[in-house]
Amino acid sequence: MSYDLFTGNLVRLAALNAELDAEAIARWDVDSEYMRQLDSGPHLPNRAKKIREAIEKMQSEDPKTIELCVRSLVDDRLIGFVAFDEINWQHGDTFVAIGIGDSDYRGNGYGTDAMRVMLRFGFMELNLKRIQLDAFSYNERAIKSYLKAGFVMEGRQRGMLLRNGQRWDFVYMSVLRDEWLALNNEQRHWSES
Amino acid sequence: MDVLTGNLTRLAAVNPDTDAEIIARWSRDSQFWRLAHTEPAWPVAPAYVKRKLDEDPIERPRFAIRTLTDDRLIGLIGLYTIFQAQREAFMGIQIGEREFWGKGYGTDALRVLLRYAFDELNLLRVSLSVLEGNERAARSYEKCGFCLEGRERHAWAYDGRRWDEIYMGLLREEWQALGKED
Repeated sequence: MSYDLFTGNLVRLAALNAELDAEAIARWDVDSEYMRQLDSGPHLPNRAKKIREAIEKMQSEDPKTIELCVRSLVDDRLIGFVAFDEINWQHGDTFVAIGIGDSDYRGNGYGTDAMRVMLRFGFMELNLKRIQLDAFSYNERAIKSYLKAGFVMEGRQRGMLLRNGQRWDFVYMSVLRDEWLALNNEQRHWSES
Repeated sequence: MDVLTGNLTRLAAVNPDTDAEIIARWSRDSQFWRLAHTEPAWPVAPAYVKRKLDEDPIERPRFAIRTLTDDRLIGLIGLYTIFQAQREAFMGIQIGEREFWGKGYGTDALRVLLRYAFDELNLLRVSLSVLEGNERAARSYEKCGFCLEGRERHAWAYDGRRWDEIYMGLLREEWQALGKED
Protein backbone atom coordinates (compact mmCIF):
# COMPACT_ATOMS: atom_id res chain seq x y z
CA MET A 1 0.00 0.00 0.00
CA SER A 2 1.33 3.42 -0.85
CA TYR A 3 2.11 5.78 1.96
CA ASP A 4 0.25 9.03 2.35
CA LEU A 5 1.19 11.48 5.05
CA PHE A 6 -2.40 12.52 5.67
CA THR A 7 -4.00 9.08 5.75
CA GLY A 8 -4.37 7.00 8.89
CA ASN A 9 -6.09 3.66 9.53
CA LEU A 10 -9.60 5.02 10.00
CA VAL A 11 -9.47 8.62 8.85
CA ARG A 12 -7.71 11.03 6.60
CA LEU A 13 -6.98 14.70 7.17
CA ALA A 14 -8.08 17.08 4.46
CA ALA A 15 -8.32 20.79 3.79
CA LEU A 16 -11.32 22.53 5.25
CA ASN A 17 -13.62 23.81 2.58
CA ALA A 18 -15.08 27.03 3.99
CA GLU A 19 -18.04 26.91 1.65
CA LEU A 20 -19.05 23.26 2.21
CA ASP A 21 -17.88 22.47 5.75
CA ALA A 22 -19.11 25.47 7.72
CA GLU A 23 -22.65 24.07 7.81
CA ALA A 24 -21.50 20.79 9.37
CA ILE A 25 -19.34 22.57 11.93
CA ALA A 26 -22.26 24.83 12.84
CA ARG A 27 -24.38 21.70 13.46
CA TRP A 28 -21.72 20.20 15.77
CA ASP A 29 -21.44 23.45 17.65
CA VAL A 30 -25.08 23.22 18.72
CA ASP A 31 -24.14 20.20 20.87
CA SER A 32 -23.26 21.66 24.26
CA GLU A 33 -21.74 18.42 25.51
CA TYR A 34 -19.29 18.52 22.60
CA MET A 35 -18.57 22.20 23.04
CA ARG A 36 -17.88 21.80 26.74
CA GLN A 37 -15.21 19.23 25.96
CA LEU A 38 -13.71 21.49 23.35
CA ASP A 39 -13.76 24.97 24.76
CA SER A 40 -13.64 26.65 28.15
CA GLY A 41 -15.69 29.66 27.03
CA PRO A 42 -19.45 29.88 27.43
CA HIS A 43 -21.34 27.61 25.04
CA LEU A 44 -22.44 29.80 22.16
CA PRO A 45 -23.55 28.20 18.91
CA ASN A 46 -22.43 30.19 15.89
CA ARG A 47 -24.04 30.77 12.55
CA ALA A 48 -22.45 28.94 9.61
CA LYS A 49 -21.69 32.31 8.04
CA LYS A 50 -19.45 33.36 10.93
CA ILE A 51 -17.70 29.99 10.94
CA ARG A 52 -17.11 30.29 7.20
CA GLU A 53 -15.60 33.74 7.65
CA ALA A 54 -13.34 32.47 10.44
CA ILE A 55 -12.08 29.59 8.24
CA GLU A 56 -11.42 31.95 5.33
CA LYS A 57 -9.57 34.39 7.56
CA MET A 58 -7.44 31.64 9.09
CA GLN A 59 -6.58 30.17 5.68
CA SER A 60 -5.67 33.49 4.11
CA GLU A 61 -3.63 35.26 6.72
CA ASP A 62 -2.68 33.25 9.79
CA PRO A 63 0.67 31.43 9.50
CA LYS A 64 0.35 30.32 13.14
CA THR A 65 -2.70 28.12 12.60
CA ILE A 66 -3.18 25.03 10.45
CA GLU A 67 -6.68 23.59 10.67
CA LEU A 68 -7.67 20.42 8.84
CA CYS A 69 -10.84 18.42 8.78
CA VAL A 70 -11.11 14.76 9.74
CA ARG A 71 -12.85 12.47 7.23
CA SER A 72 -13.65 8.81 7.69
CA LEU A 73 -11.86 6.57 5.21
CA VAL A 74 -14.82 4.28 4.47
CA ASP A 75 -17.33 6.90 3.38
CA ASP A 76 -15.30 10.13 3.31
CA ARG A 77 -17.71 11.63 5.80
CA LEU A 78 -16.72 14.86 7.58
CA ILE A 79 -16.59 13.87 11.26
CA GLY A 80 -14.36 16.41 12.97
CA PHE A 81 -11.42 18.76 12.87
CA VAL A 82 -7.86 18.86 14.11
CA ALA A 83 -5.69 21.98 14.28
CA PHE A 84 -2.29 23.28 15.18
CA ASP A 85 -2.82 26.57 16.91
CA GLU A 86 -0.31 29.20 18.02
CA ILE A 87 2.54 27.49 16.18
CA ASN A 88 5.76 28.89 17.60
CA TRP A 89 8.24 28.30 14.80
CA GLN A 90 11.16 29.82 16.67
CA HIS A 91 10.96 27.25 19.46
CA GLY A 92 9.39 24.47 17.40
CA ASP A 93 6.33 24.27 19.62
CA THR A 94 2.59 24.27 19.02
CA PHE A 95 -0.78 23.68 20.59
CA VAL A 96 -2.98 21.04 19.04
CA ALA A 97 -6.76 20.90 19.26
CA ILE A 98 -9.10 18.17 18.09
CA GLY A 99 -12.84 17.65 18.04
CA ILE A 100 -14.95 14.78 16.76
CA GLY A 101 -18.13 16.71 16.08
CA ASP A 102 -20.15 13.79 14.73
CA SER A 103 -21.26 11.92 17.88
CA ASP A 104 -21.60 8.62 15.96
CA TYR A 105 -17.83 8.55 15.64
CA ARG A 106 -16.89 9.21 19.27
CA GLY A 107 -15.30 6.48 21.34
CA ASN A 108 -14.40 4.35 18.35
CA GLY A 109 -10.77 5.30 17.82
CA TYR A 110 -11.37 7.88 15.11
CA GLY A 111 -10.05 10.76 17.20
CA THR A 112 -6.96 8.83 18.31
CA ASP A 113 -6.25 7.90 14.70
CA ALA A 114 -6.65 11.51 13.56
CA MET A 115 -4.34 12.70 16.35
CA ARG A 116 -1.70 10.14 15.35
CA VAL A 117 -1.78 11.39 11.76
CA MET A 118 -1.58 15.00 12.96
CA LEU A 119 1.44 14.21 15.16
CA ARG A 120 3.21 12.58 12.23
CA PHE A 121 2.48 15.69 10.15
CA GLY A 122 3.77 17.96 12.93
CA PHE A 123 6.97 16.06 13.65
CA MET A 124 7.96 14.69 10.24
CA GLU A 125 6.75 17.41 7.89
CA LEU A 126 6.71 20.62 9.94
CA ASN A 127 9.73 19.52 12.02
CA LEU A 128 8.20 20.67 15.30
CA LYS A 129 9.92 19.65 18.54
CA ARG A 130 7.03 19.69 20.98
CA ILE A 131 3.25 19.44 20.65
CA GLN A 132 1.07 20.33 23.60
CA LEU A 133 -2.58 20.52 24.48
CA ASP A 134 -4.88 21.19 27.35
CA ALA A 135 -7.91 19.16 28.34
CA PHE A 136 -10.54 19.43 31.03
CA SER A 137 -10.34 16.92 33.87
CA TYR A 138 -13.91 15.66 33.31
CA ASN A 139 -13.09 14.74 29.71
CA GLU A 140 -11.67 11.33 30.55
CA ARG A 141 -12.22 9.83 27.12
CA ALA A 142 -10.09 12.54 25.50
CA ILE A 143 -7.31 12.20 28.08
CA LYS A 144 -7.20 8.45 27.53
CA SER A 145 -6.97 9.02 23.78
CA TYR A 146 -4.12 11.52 24.17
CA LEU A 147 -2.17 9.08 26.35
CA LYS A 148 -2.65 6.42 23.68
CA ALA A 149 -1.32 8.78 21.01
CA GLY A 150 1.85 9.36 23.07
CA PHE A 151 1.09 12.45 25.15
CA VAL A 152 2.48 12.68 28.67
CA MET A 153 0.77 14.37 31.61
CA GLU A 154 2.60 17.60 32.34
CA GLY A 155 0.67 19.49 34.94
CA ARG A 156 -2.67 20.87 35.96
CA GLN A 157 -4.24 24.14 36.90
CA ARG A 158 -6.47 23.16 39.76
CA GLY A 159 -10.06 24.28 39.88
CA MET A 160 -9.65 26.46 36.82
CA LEU A 161 -13.02 25.56 35.40
CA LEU A 162 -16.45 26.08 37.00
CA ARG A 163 -19.09 23.97 35.33
CA ASN A 164 -22.48 22.93 36.68
CA GLY A 165 -21.46 24.29 40.06
CA GLN A 166 -18.38 22.15 40.32
CA ARG A 167 -14.69 22.98 39.96
CA TRP A 168 -12.56 21.08 37.45
CA ASP A 169 -8.87 21.15 36.54
CA PHE A 170 -7.15 22.21 33.36
CA VAL A 171 -4.89 19.30 32.41
CA TYR A 172 -1.74 20.00 30.41
CA MET A 173 -0.19 17.29 28.26
CA SER A 174 2.59 17.24 25.69
CA VAL A 175 4.64 14.95 23.50
CA LEU A 176 8.26 15.65 22.55
CA ARG A 177 9.69 14.84 19.16
CA ASP A 178 12.22 12.36 20.57
CA GLU A 179 9.54 10.49 22.53
CA TRP A 180 7.35 10.33 19.47
CA LEU A 181 10.21 9.11 17.25
CA ALA A 182 10.98 6.34 19.76
CA LEU A 183 7.32 5.32 20.00
CA ASN A 184 6.98 5.13 16.24
CA ASN A 185 10.39 3.69 15.38
CA GLU A 186 11.20 6.74 13.28
CA GLN A 187 14.80 7.82 12.75
CA ARG A 188 16.42 11.11 13.59
CA HIS A 189 18.03 12.22 10.40
CA TRP A 190 20.06 15.12 11.67
CA SER A 191 21.49 16.35 14.92
CA GLU A 192 19.56 19.00 16.75
CA SER A 193 20.36 21.30 19.57
CA MET B 1 25.49 41.49 25.43
CA ASP B 2 22.79 42.83 23.17
CA VAL B 3 21.85 40.31 20.51
CA LEU B 4 21.57 43.02 17.84
CA THR B 5 24.82 44.89 18.56
CA GLY B 6 28.17 44.12 16.92
CA ASN B 7 31.61 45.75 17.11
CA LEU B 8 31.05 48.48 14.52
CA THR B 9 27.33 48.41 13.90
CA ARG B 10 23.99 47.63 15.41
CA LEU B 11 20.84 46.38 13.76
CA ALA B 12 17.83 48.58 14.43
CA ALA B 13 14.21 48.74 13.37
CA VAL B 14 13.71 50.48 10.05
CA ASN B 15 11.78 53.73 10.40
CA PRO B 16 10.02 54.27 7.06
CA ASP B 17 9.29 57.94 7.89
CA THR B 18 12.89 58.96 8.45
CA ASP B 19 14.86 56.30 6.50
CA ALA B 20 13.02 56.27 3.14
CA GLU B 21 14.70 59.48 1.96
CA ILE B 22 18.20 58.05 2.58
CA ILE B 23 17.42 54.63 1.08
CA ALA B 24 15.96 56.29 -2.03
CA ARG B 25 19.17 58.35 -2.39
CA TRP B 26 21.23 55.11 -2.49
CA SER B 27 19.14 53.86 -5.43
CA ARG B 28 20.48 56.70 -7.63
CA ASP B 29 23.92 55.06 -7.41
CA SER B 30 23.72 52.38 -10.11
CA GLN B 31 27.08 50.88 -9.15
CA PHE B 32 25.77 50.39 -5.61
CA TRP B 33 22.63 48.83 -7.02
CA ARG B 34 24.63 46.30 -9.02
CA LEU B 35 26.39 45.19 -5.84
CA ALA B 36 23.28 45.16 -3.67
CA HIS B 37 20.76 43.53 -5.99
CA THR B 38 20.56 40.99 -8.76
CA GLU B 39 17.56 42.75 -10.33
CA PRO B 40 18.05 45.57 -12.88
CA ALA B 41 19.05 48.95 -11.43
CA TRP B 42 16.10 51.21 -10.85
CA PRO B 43 16.05 54.59 -9.14
CA VAL B 44 13.13 54.73 -6.73
CA ALA B 45 11.40 57.69 -5.07
CA PRO B 46 11.26 58.17 -1.28
CA ALA B 47 7.46 57.77 -1.29
CA TYR B 48 7.80 54.40 -3.03
CA VAL B 49 10.44 53.20 -0.56
CA LYS B 50 8.29 54.33 2.36
CA ARG B 51 5.25 52.50 1.01
CA LYS B 52 7.26 49.30 0.49
CA LEU B 53 8.72 49.45 4.00
CA ASP B 54 5.31 50.17 5.51
CA GLU B 55 4.01 47.03 3.80
CA ASP B 56 6.61 44.81 5.49
CA PRO B 57 4.85 42.12 7.52
CA ILE B 58 5.51 42.59 11.23
CA GLU B 59 7.28 39.22 11.53
CA ARG B 60 9.80 39.87 8.74
CA PRO B 61 13.28 40.58 10.14
CA ARG B 62 14.46 43.59 8.12
CA PHE B 63 16.92 45.83 9.93
CA ALA B 64 18.60 49.18 9.46
CA ILE B 65 22.39 48.93 9.82
CA ARG B 66 23.53 51.81 12.06
CA THR B 67 27.09 52.73 13.04
CA LEU B 68 27.84 52.43 16.72
CA THR B 69 29.90 55.65 16.84
CA ASP B 70 27.35 58.10 15.47
CA ASP B 71 24.18 56.04 14.94
CA ARG B 72 24.21 56.76 11.21
CA LEU B 73 22.06 54.70 8.83
CA ILE B 74 24.49 53.11 6.35
CA GLY B 75 22.66 50.06 5.02
CA LEU B 76 19.97 47.44 5.27
CA ILE B 77 20.10 43.77 6.14
CA GLY B 78 17.47 41.12 6.61
CA LEU B 79 16.24 37.57 6.55
CA TYR B 80 13.78 38.30 3.80
CA THR B 81 12.26 34.89 3.20
CA ILE B 82 11.93 32.41 6.04
CA PHE B 83 10.89 28.83 5.37
CA GLN B 84 9.62 28.23 8.89
CA ALA B 85 9.10 24.47 8.88
CA GLN B 86 12.53 23.98 7.30
CA ARG B 87 14.20 26.43 9.71
CA GLU B 88 15.85 28.14 6.74
CA ALA B 89 16.10 31.77 5.65
CA PHE B 90 17.30 33.64 2.58
CA MET B 91 19.24 36.75 3.55
CA GLY B 92 20.30 39.99 1.90
CA ILE B 93 22.54 42.89 2.80
CA GLN B 94 23.41 46.26 1.31
CA ILE B 95 25.71 49.06 2.43
CA GLY B 96 24.38 52.19 0.72
CA GLU B 97 26.86 54.74 2.03
CA ARG B 98 30.03 54.45 -0.07
CA GLU B 99 32.37 55.76 2.62
CA PHE B 100 31.59 52.60 4.62
CA TRP B 101 32.52 50.17 1.85
CA GLY B 102 35.48 47.85 2.36
CA LYS B 103 35.96 48.71 6.03
CA GLY B 104 34.34 45.75 7.74
CA TYR B 105 30.95 47.32 8.47
CA GLY B 106 29.06 44.90 6.26
CA THR B 107 30.89 41.88 7.67
CA ASP B 108 30.17 43.10 11.20
CA ALA B 109 26.45 43.56 10.48
CA LEU B 110 26.36 40.14 8.81
CA ARG B 111 27.90 38.49 11.89
CA VAL B 112 25.22 40.07 14.06
CA LEU B 113 22.48 38.90 11.68
CA LEU B 114 23.84 35.35 11.71
CA ARG B 115 23.87 35.30 15.51
CA TYR B 116 20.26 36.48 15.40
CA ALA B 117 19.37 33.81 12.81
CA PHE B 118 20.96 30.88 14.64
CA ASP B 119 20.69 31.86 18.31
CA GLU B 120 17.43 33.81 18.33
CA LEU B 121 15.38 32.31 15.51
CA ASN B 122 16.98 28.85 15.89
CA LEU B 123 17.41 28.39 12.15
CA LEU B 124 19.20 25.38 10.66
CA ARG B 125 20.56 27.16 7.59
CA VAL B 126 20.98 30.61 6.03
CA SER B 127 21.21 31.03 2.26
CA LEU B 128 22.14 33.92 -0.02
CA SER B 129 23.02 34.69 -3.59
CA VAL B 130 25.53 37.12 -5.04
CA LEU B 131 26.16 38.32 -8.57
CA GLU B 132 29.34 37.05 -10.25
CA GLY B 133 32.03 39.70 -10.02
CA ASN B 134 31.04 41.06 -6.59
CA GLU B 135 34.28 39.83 -5.06
CA ARG B 136 34.14 42.03 -1.99
CA ALA B 137 30.77 40.65 -0.96
CA ALA B 138 31.79 37.05 -1.68
CA ARG B 139 34.90 37.49 0.48
CA SER B 140 32.85 38.93 3.30
CA TYR B 141 30.42 36.00 3.12
CA GLU B 142 33.30 33.52 3.19
CA LYS B 143 34.78 35.30 6.18
CA CYS B 144 31.49 34.73 8.00
CA GLY B 145 31.54 31.03 7.14
CA PHE B 146 29.42 30.79 3.98
CA CYS B 147 30.55 28.33 1.35
CA LEU B 148 29.89 28.13 -2.35
CA GLU B 149 26.98 25.84 -3.17
CA GLY B 150 26.24 26.41 -6.81
CA ARG B 151 25.86 28.86 -9.64
CA GLU B 152 23.06 29.68 -11.97
CA ARG B 153 24.93 30.28 -15.21
CA HIS B 154 24.21 33.41 -17.22
CA ALA B 155 21.35 34.26 -14.89
CA TRP B 156 21.50 38.01 -15.51
CA ALA B 157 22.42 40.22 -18.48
CA TYR B 158 24.02 43.59 -17.76
CA ASP B 159 26.49 45.91 -19.45
CA GLY B 160 26.64 43.88 -22.63
CA ARG B 161 27.51 40.53 -21.08
CA ARG B 162 25.93 37.82 -18.98
CA TRP B 163 26.68 37.07 -15.35
CA ASP B 164 26.24 34.02 -13.16
CA GLU B 165 24.27 34.17 -9.92
CA ILE B 166 26.29 32.46 -7.21
CA TYR B 167 24.55 30.66 -4.37
CA MET B 168 26.14 30.31 -0.94
CA GLY B 169 24.95 28.73 2.29
CA LEU B 170 25.86 28.38 5.94
CA LEU B 171 24.69 25.53 8.16
CA ARG B 172 23.97 25.88 11.85
CA GLU B 173 26.66 23.33 12.81
CA GLU B 174 29.27 25.16 10.72
CA TRP B 175 28.39 28.47 12.31
CA GLN B 176 28.55 26.97 15.80
CA ALA B 177 31.99 25.47 15.05
CA LEU B 178 33.23 28.92 13.94
CA GLY B 179 32.29 30.41 17.29
CA LYS B 180 34.39 27.87 19.15
CA GLU B 181 37.54 28.88 17.25
CA ASP B 182 37.30 32.53 18.31
